[in-house]
Amino acid sequence: MPDVYNWQLGRNMDYRFETGKQQRQFAAVFNINRCIACQTCTMACKSTWTFSPGQELMWWNNVETKPYGGYPQHWDTKILDLQEQANPGKQTWDPNKKDAKSAPYGTFEGKTIFETADGVNQMATGYIPSEEEWKAPNIFEDAATKYSKEGVSLPEHSGWFFYLQRICNHCTYPACVAACPRNAAYKREEDGIVLIDQNRCRGYRKCVEACPYKKSMYRPSTRTSEKCIGCYPRVEGSDPLTHGLPMETRCMTACIGKIRLQGLVKVGADGQWLEDRQNPLYYLVHVAKIALPLYPQFGTQPNVYYIPPRWVPRNYLEQMFGPGVQSAIDAYTNPSRETLAVLQLFRATQEIVFSYKVEPGPKTMELTVAGQKRELFNDTVVGYDSNGKEIVRVSVDEPLIERPDRFTLNTI
Amino acid sequence: MNVLKLILQHRRLSAGLAIAVVTAALLQVTNTNPAVSQTLALTAYEAPSDPGVDPEAGIWKDISGVNVPLSAQAGSYVAGGSVKMVKAQALHFDGKLFVRVSWADATDDSSTTKVQDFADAVALEFPQSATAAVPSICMGQADSAVNIWQWRADSNNGVRDPNVAYTNALVDMYPSTEALFYTARAANNPFAQLDRGAVQSLYSKAFGELHTLDFQEVQGLGTRTGDGWAVVFERKFDTGRAGHALFAPSTNMDMAFAVWDGSQDERNGKKAVSQFVNLSIAAAPAVTGGGDQTRTIIFAAGLGIGLVLIGGGLAIYGYRENGD
Ligand code: SF4
Ligand code: SF4
Ligand code: SF4
Repeated sequence: MPDVYNWQLGRNMDYRFETGKQQRQFAAVFNINRCIACQTCTMACKSTWTFSPGQELMWWNNVETKPYGGYPQHWDTKILDLQEQANPGKQTWDPNKKDAKSAPYGTFEGKTIFETADGVNQMATGYIPSEEEWKAPNIFEDAATKYSKEGVSLPEHSGWFFYLQRICNHCTYPACVAACPRNAAYKREEDGIVLIDQNRCRGYRKCVEACPYKKSMYRPSTRTSEKCIGCYPRVEGSDPLTHGLPMETRCMTACIGKIRLQGLVKVGADGQWLEDRQNPLYYLVHVAKIALPLYPQFGTQPNVYYIPPRWVPRNYLEQMFGPGVQSAIDAYTNPSRETLAVLQLFRATQEIVFSYKVEPGPKTMELTVAGQKRELFNDTVVGYDSNGKEIVRVSVDEPLIERPDRFTLNTI
Repeated sequence: MNVLKLILQHRRLSAGLAIAVVTAALLQVTNTNPAVSQTLALTAYEAPSDPGVDPEAGIWKDISGVNVPLSAQAGSYVAGGSVKMVKAQALHFDGKLFVRVSWADATDDSSTTKVQDFADAVALEFPQSATAAVPSICMGQADSAVNIWQWRADSNNGVRDPNVAYTNALVDMYPSTEALFYTARAANNPFAQLDRGAVQSLYSKAFGELHTLDFQEVQGLGTRTGDGWAVVFERKFDTGRAGHALFAPSTNMDMAFAVWDGSQDERNGKKAVSQFVNLSIAAAPAVTGGGDQTRTIIFAAGLGIGLVLIGGGLAIYGYRENGD
């Protein structure tokens, strides 16, 4: 079995296929802190791709309330449990075995889902959630761990919950692809989007079983499995709105809370992101290091990254996002001028931003937060498309616009 | 001529029977299941009238068959192999081959509406053409493909949209239900089409390379028996098309069996398989009243001869990539 490099784990691992064929990789950053669980993303996806018979229980995008919610129910704790049973007491990280570039969060010393599987009956450890588990996509909505009578305060709320926004991670080492005996599930060379060939699938549901994120789903009306298609026609630029230029997906562009930014990053022959300092996703993940992968220990090298919620107990977050949690929260809570500017790109345009530039602006405020002195600057971030053409320009300070008095009667 | 008499006239086979008894005892002691069916013989006699696809048809009660042992697909395959034995019977009539397969399976798994539900199924495998090289029993090989007839319990029921089978179970209304929105169907996936019959005729020349033949003419029907399933397959000897197994009276042909138990999550390579069985298509009419004794002797004789070939059989049987 080929030996591949997983930078999120800081080490090599076994995977069924070689990497290195992708030219670009679909990737996104979700800022959990800003999500209001309006489910607009969920409905944007549903009303575009999964509104037909047989797709009733299918939510390629879902937003669940952690820690109790989950779609399918308990998906993450079940996989964590299977992994723990396979390698008891040893699913741990060594945060000191670190390398700034190739192992920024240390080294995962435990086993991935590929390494706990027998490689014959299963290519990746997993299970098929039953129909009942898919039936309540928003179960335990807004359920906190407890009622905090005295109120809550940072850094960790005593009673807490948060929203977790989930789509297929278009993993660099997809378990769904590794598991499919017919090679019907595959990863596209042009953008790393993972698809299931609807002509080849014979409904074995090995992908449903293997995907640790449970983002491959069964459709009984055609007896095949389907999954998030990364809105590939939009990413390819075939939507007339962007005149042939890559466009962000439905769930991203619909986001009310402006929590999502999606794009395409350059990848090298080893499947790793190539240095691309001015790509906003590269900056957030590899330079500012404020966005972290979801359950990196599963080993699929997922490509959706999360800015962790500031108020949640760190041990819970570390289980979910790995050892980088505290520094990511620190960097998000005390953002650099550049980070603050790049965060303004979230939902500023539907077109994919391939690079950005920050134009410095004047100091607008001095303040003290948690005993620390801070300064705010009204910098402007400029986003460029794949041809280097300016497509968006946003300042850190939201401009104040006075409405003319003829609108005083709130005519909207 | 009575098959029983025919066999007993050959003393060598009686000797084979003795060896078989010793072998069986040995295997019992060593707790080995070698799936020795590779040497079993199944004869398709000519039927006096059209047997049809109904597994309950009276004619099947009158003819003998063979019990074919099955085991998990590959030596290192830990799962699969739930069904241990199938009974196979065969007839021919008016240029058509009929094969009846029955086996014990306590659960009726004929719905695939729920994500966790897999269908019971049975498949017959034949060399795709009468090539000299016998194809690898495991899904064929590059220069020698196999023709597979797969019956599935869910297809047997007629695949229906869940929203037709259970009206408004999940939603009250769909904005559009045109064929385009059934993605796999619109992508011409033969497996996803409605009303394609209980049996699919497929070909394969490697693991993971199973394809549906463009032309489907295998008929089939399954019924629940007291303790399991009985399925009849029917097909013309000669479809006149490349890729479809070709049969003729007074010829022999290798065939193999595979059975899936849906309640054990069996699908794709997770299944129970036999070794090759020798199917001979007799010119003579069917004999009746063969009974259990005939079957036992044919089985025992097969077991004896099988000893010689066990080594070869097990070699094929070693680890292969989990596929179908
Ligand atoms: S999240 Fe699941 S379905 Fe998506 S690419 Fe990864 S393994 Fe496959
Ligand atoms: S990327 Fe497109 S297909 Fe995937 S969840 Fe979002 S809207 Fe749905
Ligand atoms: S649309 Fe945005 S804010 Fe609303 S639930 Fe989805 S991710 Fe959260």
